[in-house]
Amino acid sequence: MFEVYKKELKELLRDKKTLMFVVLLPVLIFPVIFAIVAFIGTQAALDADQKVNTYVIINGEYAQEFTDKVFYHKSFELYKGSKTFNTIEELKAGVTAGDIDMGIYLPSNAVKTLDSGEQSKWQVVFNDAKSINFLFDRVKELAQEYSDVLQAEKLKSFGIEESAHKSILNPIEVVKVDTADKRENLGEKIGAYLPYLLIPLVLMGATYPAIDLGAGEKERGTLETLLLTPITRTELVLGKFITLLTTSIASTTITVLSMGCWVAVALAFADLDFIKTAFSTLAVTDLLMIFVLLLPLAAIFSSLALAISIYARTFKEAQNYMAPLSMGVFFPIIISIMPNMELTAKTAFIPVTNVALAIKDIIKGTVDYTFVGLIFLATVLIAGALLAFCVKWFNREDVLFR
Amino acid sequence: MIEVAGLKKRFKLTKDHKKNKVDDIDPREDKDYFHSVRDVSFRCAEGEVLGLLGPNGAGKTTTLRMISTALKPDEGSITIAGNDIVKKPLLGRKSIGFLSGSTGLYGRLTVKENIEYFAKLHGMKKSDIASRCDELFTLLDMHKFIDKRAENLSTGMKQKANIARAVVHRPAVVVLDEPTTGLDIMTTQTVIEFIKGLKAQGTPVIFSTHHLDEVALLCDRVAVINEGISCFDGTVEAFKQAGNSEELNQAFMNILTEKHNV
Repeated sequence: MFEVYKKELKELLRDKKTLMFVVLLPVLIFPVIFAIVAFIGTQAALDADQKVNTYVIINGEYAQEFTDKVFYHKSFELYKGSKTFNTIEELKAGVTAGDIDMGIYLPSNAVKTLDSGEQSKWQVVFNDAKSINFLFDRVKELAQEYSDVLQAEKLKSFGIEESAHKSILNPIEVVKVDTADKRENLGEKIGAYLPYLLIPLVLMGATYPAIDLGAGEKERGTLETLLLTPITRTELVLGKFITLLTTSIASTTITVLSMGCWVAVALAFADLDFIKTAFSTLAVTDLLMIFVLLLPLAAIFSSLALAISIYARTFKEAQNYMAPLSMGVFFPIIISIMPNMELTAKTAFIPVTNVALAIKDIIKGTVDYTFVGLIFLATVLIAGALLAFCVKWFNREDVLFR
Repeated sequence: MIEVAGLKKRFKLTKDHKKNKVDDIDPREDKDYFHSVRDVSFRCAEGEVLGLLGPNGAGKTTTLRMISTALKPDEGSITIAGNDIVKKPLLGRKSIGFLSGSTGLYGRLTVKENIEYFAKLHGMKKSDIASRCDELFTLLDMHKFIDKRAENLSTGMKQKANIARAVVHRPAVVVLDEPTTGLDIMTTQTVIEFIKGLKAQGTPVIFSTHHLDEVALLCDRVAVINEGISCFDGTVEAFKQAGNSEELNQAFMNILTEKHNV
């Protein structure tokens, strides 16, 4: 068994493609991709933040103070073109044609409307389909400031002191007292998405080498000679299985370490104390627990990938079969981030979902260790069953000589 | 001595095969199975070379795969020195060296690593592996390329490496499935010389071939299979007599035609 393992590992380490998938991709390419995505995302947000938007206000004189605030705001520039805008429809046409970025329609004099005990409804016309758009929020903010001024003036006219305005306008203030600490809050946000990164990596670390170890052997014509050596099929399967387990875990470990390094570098240059403090509460045992939970999961993926690969006649056929396996793995991860999905005695038995939920709880620092034990046991049992199936598969002539 | 008696092997027909069946009158197909080998028997003693002949699809490769223990026969026995390797396949694997035209090597391992790997799988000791490898590398004139990766070898070099791989564990019987197919004259000659060497050592050799000149050159015995059934098993002289011709090609044709007409 160890001869098979040693040989498979040696051969895989000499394969440039495998090295690319297992080592280079996690160490360099993933961080580079994430960095590029982060850079583009930040740049887009920055561009949206700094963009100066052309605007038109119809009946601006109805709220001169507001109109002035918009005029002097750094994000807005009054339309200086030749077109005239008098109706909502004209504003819509202007935004659609790209003449203006925004149009504001004031239907009435806000002071007079307030005096008559009515609310003035202003309409802001703009294209909200853009992913990053600060336009509406900024206008709303300026409108709110103006609204606050009107409100205060009205209350004063009723003889109410300024100091009492707050209690009259908001007699009750609800204050949130969060029992969740920073780590729990961050864990809820990051912990749910961490399995999205880790679990597919575990799968990828097993599938690519598995294709080589199963279908690759058939295609090269080496499987038959291997089957004619006096080692049992169980030893043969175990040798190949442990190889896949190694690559799967190695790939994940390398990726996590690599990302850890990159995150540390990023944190050293960025002012993200909140994240630093939250992550500093993560103990080494927490990380080890995640690693321990990923081990049987890697065993499940390794068994499945090996069984699929040995069934395939060729490298290409095996690649075709691996695609549905990848989709099948993403589905239970998606289940784990659905609302109200929690780690319970029931969900602890759903493969993949259970590990994803446990990782989230570990990051949050709220994990129930009984469930971790239960998940480990359940995953080990499934992995064992799949490994036994794999051995049976390797004993079937109709699988080996299709 | 290896003795094959009453071998039978059938394969379940797939749905695709049933759908795309071309020849409705193949006597080996029934509703659900393709009876690849229906009754094959022959024997090969120490120091003998047996040529396994038959047209394409006759069941030669299936027969050799059963002998090599890759496939398990549905019926029949294969005995090596009195041991039934159908019942004891691990013993069979230790006793047999197998080589086919389509056998591959691990491309990313060197020739030496390939051969050492199989020697280790056969349970050979480290010191024995070193001396045996050296013996084979000299015998097959391989020293120049033993440290090259197998993926960089020529066809001839690969076949030499394959031969060394097949016999590194000093098998009691050597089974060769069309070992010279696709080889150039020089490499074919190496294979022929190697079979002669095995014969001289007293190792029984069974090899399937379509080249009757190789049979004339090497074989003591001939076994003919047609449509999964043994048509002939005997010495080369008896083969010529049964086929009513001194020409091996003609004798082979006559035996097939006669059996077919019967």
